Amino acid sequence: MIRVYICVGSSCHLKGSYHIIKTFESMIKEHNLKDKVEINASFCLGRCTNGVAMKIEEELVDNVNLSNVKEIFEKYVMGRM
Amino acid sequence: MSIYVDTCFESLNKFNEELCGDKVEIIRSDNSSIIVLADGLGSGVKANILATLTSKIIATMLSNGLSLDEAVETIASTLPVCRERDIAYSTFSILQIMDSGEGYLVEFDNPSVFFMKKGKRSELEKQTRMINGKLVTESRFNVSYEDLFILVSDGVIHAGVGATLNLGWQWNNVREYIERIYKSDLSPKNIVKLLLSVCENLYARKPGDDTTVAAIKIRKPVVVNVMIGPPVNKNEDRNVVNRFFDGEGKKVVCGGTTSQIVSRVLNKKITTNIKYYNPQVPPTAEIEGIDLVTEGVLTFGKALEYAKRYLSTGSNIKDLIELGKRDGASRLAKLLLEESTKVNFFIGRAINPAHQNPELPLDLGLKIKLVKEMAECLKSLGKRVEIEYY
Repeated sequence: MIRVYICVGSSCHLKGSYHIIKTFESMIKEHNLKDKVEINASFCLGRCTNGVAMKIEEELVDNVNLSNVKEIFEKYVMGRM
Repeated sequence: MSIYVDTCFESLNKFNEELCGDKVEIIRSDNSSIIVLADGLGSGVKANILATLTSKIIATMLSNGLSLDEAVETIASTLPVCRERDIAYSTFSILQIMDSGEGYLVEFDNPSVFFMKKGKRSELEKQTRMINGKLVTESRFNVSYEDLFILVSDGVIHAGVGATLNLGWQWNNVREYIERIYKSDLSPKNIVKLLLSVCENLYARKPGDDTTVAAIKIRKPVVVNVMIGPPVNKNEDRNVVNRFFDGEGKKVVCGGTTSQIVSRVLNKKITTNIKYYNPQVPPTAEIEGIDLVTEGVLTFGKALEYAKRYLSTGSNIKDLIELGKRDGASRLAKLLLEESTKVNFFIGRAINPAHQNPELPLDLGLKIKLVKEMAECLKSLGKRVEIEYY
């Protein structure tokens, strides 16, 4: 199981955590990975100036936005399969 | 007996009148709460002056320990006499609740109070006597939790006259309506809004008289402690969290970093929910022993927005329903506006460097200002508020 923590703190929220979560959810569905990937929300991951931040397993990934979110999913989540 | 007197009142002005001829005055002193509803003779400016003088004089005198007789005498010799009718006249209802739980009700020519015990209609034993030529009804009693008093001006029981009902809404019908809508968690605000909206509809939106409802509910005090923001000095974390957590009452933590501090000090895991009930409000989290954990300044700002709407005279039932929603801001607003009777804010003044970013659409440095505005909103509802800074 790959655990993904997406920051929903104030800064990341303003930078679009909601949409990042929705995109991850739909990609998990699309690739049929429901049993392999678990998404969690997390309060401040301490990367406020580089939001949206997320933690995939123990690896911190930041500066996630709507234009790179699919790439990030493919690189960090699919890449771990 | 430790009690809190939860009050709310509102008026509809007679159609085309800018001023209301009914007036409610509430004075909370060290040992009692006094609510006076006065209805001045006529309407408009004249009625407004009569009602204002009457309610203010009675409330001030009684709260300073003077007797009813003295207050009535003062009104009789103070009120300006109406030139057309040659009388100085304002009806009134007075409800005084002592902190000990003793109650005192006085009525003069207003519709009689609606009194409910746990949602069931109940009667108060009344005695009448003459004071200064006025026939006044008095009763003394003891209150219990959930007792509800509804004072109204005659505009309520006449609602519909000249529009939809020949004889108006009538006292018995109003009482039946109150029984029908009663729920134990219905706040005075909700009751006032519901009654006034019926009156407004019966009058076909053109009230034939000033129409006022004041709802008073006896409640057990509920303290809510809110911690928002991390202390400037990290060494203070443990102290502040312990002070916050050890106090009596409900606990709310606002802020991502703040909740992590609380979780660390209490050694309890924090779990953030993924579910968004409202995409504009970040999800809440759970920490064992804490009643509500939310993101900080955005949620708080939204809750303040709800509070302002709730308090504005133009608010309607929809704004009240907003508070029943499950997102963090609605839950916070409901807890503060409806459930709490006293609120303690623990404000940490540490500044998050990320919030200094000029690209952000909102000035996040406003935290302290937001809390102060919220405190003012809560005070205007008669709640006690204390703020500590760290």
